[in-house]
Amino acid sequence: MNEIGGIPLFYLEFGDIVAYFSPFTLALFLLALVFSVFVIVSRPERQIDIAFGADAFFAKDISLAELRFRRFMAIACGLACMGAMVTGDVFDFTLFVSLVGICNVGIVAAVKNHHVQDAAYQYGLVALAGTVPLFSAAAIVVTTTGSLSMLELASPGAPAVPLIARALLVLGVMGEGMAPFYAAKAEMFRAPGAPYVIMCSLSSLLIFLRVTEVVLLL
Amino acid sequence: MIIQKISRVLSNYDNILPLFAGACAILAVVALLSLPLPYFEDQLYPKQIVPGSTLNPYDRGGPPFTRVDIRLQYPENSPTAGYVTAYLTPFSLFLARNTMYMGTTIVAHPGGILDEILYNTRGLDTVVEPTILFISFAIAAYIFHRRED
Repeated sequence: MNEIGGIPLFYLEFGDIVAYFSPFTLALFLLALVFSVFVIVSRPERQIDIAFGADAFFAKDISLAELRFRRFMAIACGLACMGAMVTGDVFDFTLFVSLVGICNVGIVAAVKNHHVQDAAYQYGLVALAGTVPLFSAAAIVVTTTGSLSMLELASPGAPAVPLIARALLVLGVMGEGMAPFYAAKAEMFRAPGAPYVIMCSLSSLLIFLRVTEVVLLL
Repeated sequence: MIIQKISRVLSNYDNILPLFAGACAILAVVALLSLPLPYFEDQLYPKQIVPGSTLNPYDRGGPPFTRVDIRLQYPENSPTAGYVTAYLTPFSLFLARNTMYMGTTIVAHPGGILDEILYNTRGLDTVVEPTILFISFAIAAYIFHRRED
C-alpha cells in the first residue's frame, strides 16, 4: 500500500471498519488522548478583566453546571478526535469529523454571553453546511471505487478516487474544523475556561492533519 | 494591503457563512461540470432492485438464520456474517407477507430488517451516528434548560 504515514503497526478491527495505527495516526491519537486527560484533570481558568481607569479587576466565575457541561463536551470532542485519527474507513472518518464539529459548537455554545452565542450560532451553521460536501465526498468515493476502506483504496491497482471527491472532503473538513480559523476568534475566545476552548483548536488542527493524510492516501 | 482587507472582511463573523456557502457553491458547480463520474460496477455493498419482493430494496435473499453469502471487505473480521440478512419481527413479517410496500417502512420497525451491512459489518458507523444525534440533543437540551433559569 501507499505508506504515506508509515507502515501500520497495529490494526483494530470492527468488522469492515479497520482502524490502523501507523506512526502518523498513532502520534495524532496520542496527542488527542493526552489532551483529553488534561481536560479531565484540569480546572478551568478564571478570566481576569482589568477595569479601565480604576485600580480594580473582576474575576469571571464559571458555574458548576456550565463547567460540567463544557467538560463533557470537551471529553466527547477528544473521543471523537481519537476516532477520527485512527479510523481506516472513509465514511467512518466523515462521521467522526462531523461529531468533532458538533462537539466544538457545544463547547462554545454553553457560555452565557451574547457575543459568544452569536459566534457559536454562526459557526454551528457553517458546521451544518459542512456536512453536505463531507458526506457527498464519501458517497462519490463509494460509487466510483466500490469500496470505503482506505487501506484497500491505497493499495496498488485500486480504482482511482476522482479529484472532486478529495476536494469535497477537504471543504467538508474545513467547514467542520472552522473554529480556529474562525476570524471571530476573539468572540469565541471571550468564553472563559481555557482547556475547553483550546480543545476546539486542537481537534480542528488534528482533523486537518488527518485529512491531508486521507487525501494523499486515496 | 490586501491581507488587511481580507482579514477585515473575515473579522465579521456574519461574513463567514456566506463565504463558506460560496465555496460550497463553486465546488458544487465544479462537481457538476466533472460529471459524469464513472460508476464502479463491482460494488462492495450492492443493492438490487427486485421488483417482485416486498422487502425491496433491502432484500438480500435467503430465509433467516441460515447462512447467505453477502459481500464484505474483510470477511475474516465477521465470521457470523450472513446469518441475519432477513430477520423480521413477527409483526414485520406479517406486514411484509400481506402488503406489497409496507414491509420496509418505519411501521415495520423496530427490529424490522436487521441490515447485515449496517448492524454487523459496519457496526461502528451505527454507534457513531446515534452519538452525533445524542450530542446535538444534549446541546439543545442544555441551552433550552438554561434559558428557563
